[in-house]
Amino acid sequence: MTPTLVKTVRATVRSWPGVLSLTVLLGITAAALAAPILSLPDPADMAFDLYQPPSSSFWLGTDNFGRDIFSRVVWGARVALMVAIGAALLSILIGSALGAVAGYFGGWIDGLLSRIFDIFLLIPTFFLILLIVALFGASLPLTIIAIALTTWPRSARLMRSQVLTLKSRVYVQAALAAGAPHWWVIVRHVIPNGIAPIITDGTILMGMAILTEAGLSFLGLGDQNMVSWGSMIFEGQRHLRLAPWMSIAPGVALLMLVASLNLLGDSVNFAMNPQLRTRGGAPKRRASVAPPKGEGPATEETPILQVEDLRLEYTVGNRRIAAVDGVSFSLPRGGALGIVGESGCGKSSLGSALLQTMPNNAELTAGNVRYDGRAIILGGKPVVEGGRSRIDALRWTRIATIFQSAMNALNPVTTVRRQMMDALRLHRPGISRADATDRISEVFDMIGIPRSRMNAYPHQLSGGMRQRAMIALSLILEPELVIADEPTTALDMLIQDQILGEIADLRERLNLSLILVSHDMGAVAESCEVVAVMYAGRIVEIAPTRRIFDNPAHPYSRTLIGALPSLTGPLEKLESLPATDTAAAAAATGCRFAHACLAATDLCRKTTPPAMNLGGGHVCECHYAEDFAAETAADKREVRA
Amino acid sequence: MRLLRYFLYRVMQMFPIALFIVIINFALIHMAPGDVSILLAGEGADPEYMASVRQSYGLDKPLYQQLGAYIGQLLQGDLGLSFRTREPVIGIIAERVPATLLLAGTALVLASVLGVVIGSFMARRPGSALDTAVTTLSISLFSIPVFWLGLMLILLFAVTLRWLPSSGMMSIAGPREGIGFVLDVAKHMILPVISLSAVWLGQYVRLARSSVSETLAEPYVTTARAIGFPERRVMTRFALRNAMLPIVTVLGLELGLLLSGAVLTETVFSWPGLGRLIYEAILSRDTPVIMGAFLIMSFTVMLAALVTDLLYATLDPRVRL
Ligand code: SF4
Repeated sequence: MTPTLVKTVRATVRSWPGVLSLTVLLGITAAALAAPILSLPDPADMAFDLYQPPSSSFWLGTDNFGRDIFSRVVWGARVALMVAIGAALLSILIGSALGAVAGYFGGWIDGLLSRIFDIFLLIPTFFLILLIVALFGASLPLTIIAIALTTWPRSARLMRSQVLTLKSRVYVQAALAAGAPHWWVIVRHVIPNGIAPIITDGTILMGMAILTEAGLSFLGLGDQNMVSWGSMIFEGQRHLRLAPWMSIAPGVALLMLVASLNLLGDSVNFAMNPQLRTRGGAPKRRASVAPPKGEGPATEETPILQVEDLRLEYTVGNRRIAAVDGVSFSLPRGGALGIVGESGCGKSSLGSALLQTMPNNAELTAGNVRYDGRAIILGGKPVVEGGRSRIDALRWTRIATIFQSAMNALNPVTTVRRQMMDALRLHRPGISRADATDRISEVFDMIGIPRSRMNAYPHQLSGGMRQRAMIALSLILEPELVIADEPTTALDMLIQDQILGEIADLRERLNLSLILVSHDMGAVAESCEVVAVMYAGRIVEIAPTRRIFDNPAHPYSRTLIGALPSLTGPLEKLESLPATDTAAAAAATGCRFAHACLAATDLCRKTTPPAMNLGGGHVCECHYAEDFAAETAADKREVRA
Repeated sequence: MRLLRYFLYRVMQMFPIALFIVIINFALIHMAPGDVSILLAGEGADPEYMASVRQSYGLDKPLYQQLGAYIGQLLQGDLGLSFRTREPVIGIIAERVPATLLLAGTALVLASVLGVVIGSFMARRPGSALDTAVTTLSISLFSIPVFWLGLMLILLFAVTLRWLPSSGMMSIAGPREGIGFVLDVAKHMILPVISLSAVWLGQYVRLARSSVSETLAEPYVTTARAIGFPERRVMTRFALRNAMLPIVTVLGLELGLLLSGAVLTETVFSWPGLGRLIYEAILSRDTPVIMGAFLIMSFTVMLAALVTDLLYATLDPRVRL
């Protein structure tokens, strides 16, 4: 068994629906297997005890021919399982083979097969099966084959998409390069690796097969030589008033078997993708605090945003991961701060914490945030005043954000104009349609979106225009502070530069305060006076922009800038550090960066570096910050692409 | 304009599918054991009628000509004669369509509306105890054999409690017009509609729950929250509006399943619709009627898929040719 399979099985049996369904399934299977050796009365034996209600001698009563219903239910389980396993196996066999062929070869073969899969989706399968059975005569094997013949496209479609993603994998390519024939690669590598979701779907298929067979039997198209639950209900129906137990028992059995199959499929599915169960949701209610006493009025000098020791933790399974691990900074009114780091360093989590839009599995565990001198977060809890969270009163009118538009940050089914109109009217309920339209046009002009594009849907705009629309949306209510999270990622270089230029320009003109979150040092250079470098949840270095480019003191900042520190030799491959690495680093003692730092010493690995104040607003968490900062700019080489 | 072009494009796509279904039907008759003419005319039909059937289907011509003749007949709306009543199948089916539409339509509307409401409510608290319970319950609901649920409802409400009628669409001596008639039919509808929609409710709760919770994790929902939209509006305007897309698609695709449920339900409640017709046809081995019903069901599902596509296109501006 592969490790993932073991993990899936474990996770499945840990959930109660998983345990429940497995138990019921095993019970029914055991009963079905043991039916011949149990000392049950022959299910076909007719006796003189007609229509006996359930009693100690006939546990579930007898039917119109005096046959023992309990025995018939047990024997019926054999038929149900035969149908389930036979039909699902056959269907998956045909489906995976054809799906694999379609996905593997692509081209016209795929075109043709995919077309057939689609057509089958549109055929009402139950009626087709019914027609086949009605024409060819009712028999169990035929029913099984008919079910398989009409349901295989389900597995085929699944297998096809699996194969499409598997095809490019290294081992498949390697096998092909080594001269293995196509069919061998499919059978040996592609099908075994793509089968997992198909097996999950298989349980649902089995349930469908059982219900289909039962339905056919209920319509009188059941195999006359077999005891099937469907036919039992078919017969019971006519004696419903006289002997209701005749139809109750087989129905309950059907329900239990099919429900446990479906429930099992569901549990396995969730076990394989745990986030399915908890993703999304409405924001949960979080504990809040009252505003602190004695908040002085804000002055010119009061920073617009003050963050002290902010911490944010995600709960993933039973692990807790500190994505933001004690971050402090202060942003003067009209100032601009760049926050730079790789993905997974916690910079976007920091942004979501400031906006209080973090997902439900994230929790602020400590820290204060003040906006314009007034606390909006105290000790990690949102500050509520007069029944309303303080952040809510600031939203969009004073703090707005620019998200990465390439990531669906705009509602795909609403025009850009409409989205701006909605935001405007939400915060200025009295505004007239004409005034609102004027304001929207004004912002569009300012951002450089042609007015003719106003009524476009997001997908109709080019990447650059869509990002501009997002910026326009953020500025519609004239906010003071804008938090931009990767606003130019996924755009081509030329457009990136244009948009960054526009953000810098708008900032000047509108006297905005700005927090610019990016993975790219160069992107923040133009518009921010101060740059903070984040690594594994902490700001490891913060300094005025010129300073950090000329004298980066932290080895990690150097790799981000692209400077090669002479002390340590080249540092490569850092950009590809995975997110889990940084999270793991956060848990360790000593310097978080030590595992990747070529200048690391024993001191680094044992003691957490203190924040070294290098003067002039330059602070760095590295034992050797002073030495590094002293190096001249001549030692560094621009390699930024 | 966009919609019209899209619509025509989809209509064009339906032709090969329709042809495929007709060919399946044709192939099945010819592969089935026994003489085709007996299948079509019925056992013990008089020689004269048998000859006329052979004639009209061109049964002594080569296969491809027979297929041609068959398609030609279908195009004229000729689905053959029922060998029980010797009436044209198309007429017999048409007579039964309204009753099925009434039953299936009511159940569909009820189940989908209720399902979307409950499902999106559950999506607000994914992973909660209530969510797990409702998910499990809805899985159990659609695992119930619909015909058995019908029987149990009859047992409880008609046999034991005697509150509601157990079969038919109207009382034998009941009123045939006015409000009394409507009420009478409504009373007969309650149990079949409950059985059919209960099973489907489970399906739609799950569907809505998963698509709404998926959209709630989308970036544009975060944008909406950052803008400050109240959660109720985030739910309707952003999440539900986008979640409708997958919901509508699945609704259309699964209409075939809904219809098979309707057939079984009608059988239980002796509801005078297509399902009951199919059941009677099976009992009397009336092949032309079974085949006709399959064709009509297939075309209905195709039509539904077409309507769904169109609805999808109006809901999602991204759909283009
Ligand atoms: S403290 Fe040591 S390991 Fe950490 S960044 Fe500085 S030199 Fe590298």
